[in-house]
Amino acid sequence: MLHNDTINTLIHLPELSGASSESLAHFIDKGFPTNKWEEWKYASLKSFNEVAWSWTPTSIQNSVAVPEFQQSLSIQTLNGQSSILGNLPNGLTCVPLNQFLNQNADFKRLYEKRNPLLDQNSLYHLNDAFNQNPLVFCVKKDTILDASVVHQFILKAQEAPTVIQGKIILYLEEGAKMTWIEQQASLASESLVFSNYALEIWLSEQAHLTLYKDQDLGQGISLVDHTFIYQAANSQVDMFTFSINGTFVRNNLHFYIEGPQVVSNLNGLYVPGEGQLMDNHSVVDHRMPHSESNELYKGVLLGNATGVFNGKIFVRKDAQKTNAFQSCKNVLASDRATMNTKPQLEIWADDVKCSHGTTTGQLSEEALFYMRSRGISADAARTLLLLAFVQQVIDKVEITSLREYLSSKIIHKIEQSWEA
Amino acid sequence: MVFQKLRPYFCASIENSNQMMLSVNDLHARIGEKEILKGINLEVRAGEVHAIMGPNGSGKSTLASVLAGREDYEVTSGSVDFLGKDLLDLAPEERAAEGLFLAFQYPVEIPGVSTTNFMKSAVNEIRKYRGEEAMDAVQFLKMFKEKMAYVNIDQSLLSRALNEGFSGGEKKRNEIFQMAVLEPKLAILDETDSGLDIDALRIVAEGVNKLKSPENATIVVTHYQRLLDYIVPDFVHVLYKGKIVKSGTKDLALELEEHGYDWIISALD
Repeated sequence: MLHNDTINTLIHLPELSGASSESLAHFIDKGFPTNKWEEWKYASLKSFNEVAWSWTPTSIQNSVAVPEFQQSLSIQTLNGQSSILGNLPNGLTCVPLNQFLNQNADFKRLYEKRNPLLDQNSLYHLNDAFNQNPLVFCVKKDTILDASVVHQFILKAQEAPTVIQGKIILYLEEGAKMTWIEQQASLASESLVFSNYALEIWLSEQAHLTLYKDQDLGQGISLVDHTFIYQAANSQVDMFTFSINGTFVRNNLHFYIEGPQVVSNLNGLYVPGEGQLMDNHSVVDHRMPHSESNELYKGVLLGNATGVFNGKIFVRKDAQKTNAFQSCKNVLASDRATMNTKPQLEIWADDVKCSHGTTTGQLSEEALFYMRSRGISADAARTLLLLAFVQQVIDKVEITSLREYLSSKIIHKIEQSWEA
Repeated sequence: MVFQKLRPYFCASIENSNQMMLSVNDLHARIGEKEILKGINLEVRAGEVHAIMGPNGSGKSTLASVLAGREDYEVTSGSVDFLGKDLLDLAPEERAAEGLFLAFQYPVEIPGVSTTNFMKSAVNEIRKYRGEEAMDAVQFLKMFKEKMAYVNIDQSLLSRALNEGFSGGEKKRNEIFQMAVLEPKLAILDETDSGLDIDALRIVAEGVNKLKSPENATIVVTHYQRLLDYIVPDFVHVLYKGKIVKSGTKDLALELEEHGYDWIISALD
């Protein structure tokens, strides 16, 4: 249950008046997830119920550089305040939701389906209460955006523990194509920060989205990232979640496949270190025939890190000829690390190809000795083996500068862990 | 002990002024509670080729592993001096950097790491240890090309994940390629002939012979005499129940080939 002060503060926040009261009531009733909730068994936020949170982050004065990935556009959100740096490329619009719903009848029709589809967890409701009118980025029909769009989401706490609630909607019209790079980063913070972030994505027929998430958060920063992806017929999503740093990182990923010939590629790489927990929960919901989903998650757990993978695949009765594959492989790079894996397949159709496999192991002592006998130090040998293990995911990143950027951060993190 | 007594006799026929490379004194080692090496004495000088033979389970591979620094074995007593350093005091990677090389009986598969990347890391780590500058990509390319010729190895094999899906012959050729790249002072070949057909054996042996020089030494650990037709030893030692029970010249290997180990063993037991 939530702290009384938290409840009092929440119900008196001016920005929460009006339409959001239902969502807010839901959160107040349930509070932060505890380990008694089945889906949060290994990733509890129970202690957050006791914290006297500030719900109104103050703005960040620092200017923060955006890394260069040959993008066509950068968007920066500093403690919830978004600014668009530069001009929108042709074919991309950015309009607040309420206004966009009036402008775009196709989107309105899609968006009306929304409520029953979403995972009804208390944190999604909380995010919803704070984000009644988020920005909608829309890629117009048949627009191919060659260069990527970078959205940098920067967090910084002030004196009090702070909750920051971001939300973005992406809408790709028929035949549209874009690459979206999302960075969750933080500036040095004196107190706790909880980022409760939502990304809602709607793909029309033939649309193609490549989505990269780079989660690299400092000490004391926790992130729950809700990503909902709706895919109409013949659409494709190639998604990557790189969880590099963060005290607590929970990804709730929900693919809703509402058309035939859909391709959904989910890739994940997480490297939690000392005192960190990273949890990937995914739902791939095949509702229509002839679609394909491929899940490839890899984890390297350093120090006393905890990892969680829970991958649900639903193949509904109508989703004949579905191909759904899931693989989650982990290496415990320390004997103090823990990994919890749970694949869950529910198949209602009878003509499908589905497979899943999870493995959790340690580095081979034989391989390490072999490498050391050639002059490679024990730490360098471990690093080399771990990099080889994660390479499969990194190699799929098509943007060279992004691939090198992520790769060097991961190398740095692994190398640092040997020094501890 | 036997060998040390005989040494002046053998050495009369060859150069004995060469530098002492390896000196093993009363080496005892065990794995768990089981003692496997029970007092090994062995001296190897630069320019020499020594063969260590013996029946299965005599401790041949254990000796090779202990010298390379495998941590599964515990050395309970004795000492090993390698070029003036206490070998047992060094980590496996330090032994390699000091010039020791072990060609594995069963080379290990290293998924995702190509031979070239593996060797680049190894060479530059060793250069770092020795206080030398790292080699760059161009230097590596030139050097690898040169070394590939020793064992007739193909570039495509070197680009693949190390030992993954390699045939027995490819694995052993790759070991000798690594040896050519690292230019060890002392190479220990652990059952390098096992799993090789006669052509592969010849290629591997030719590679080893080309790498031989008055400055380095080789220890060949083998069960069969066959390999010694190609890599001709200066000394042959028979290991039995954790001790060297007989030493001799290459003729000893021929005798073993003809009569087996029984005549030595029955004289001892």
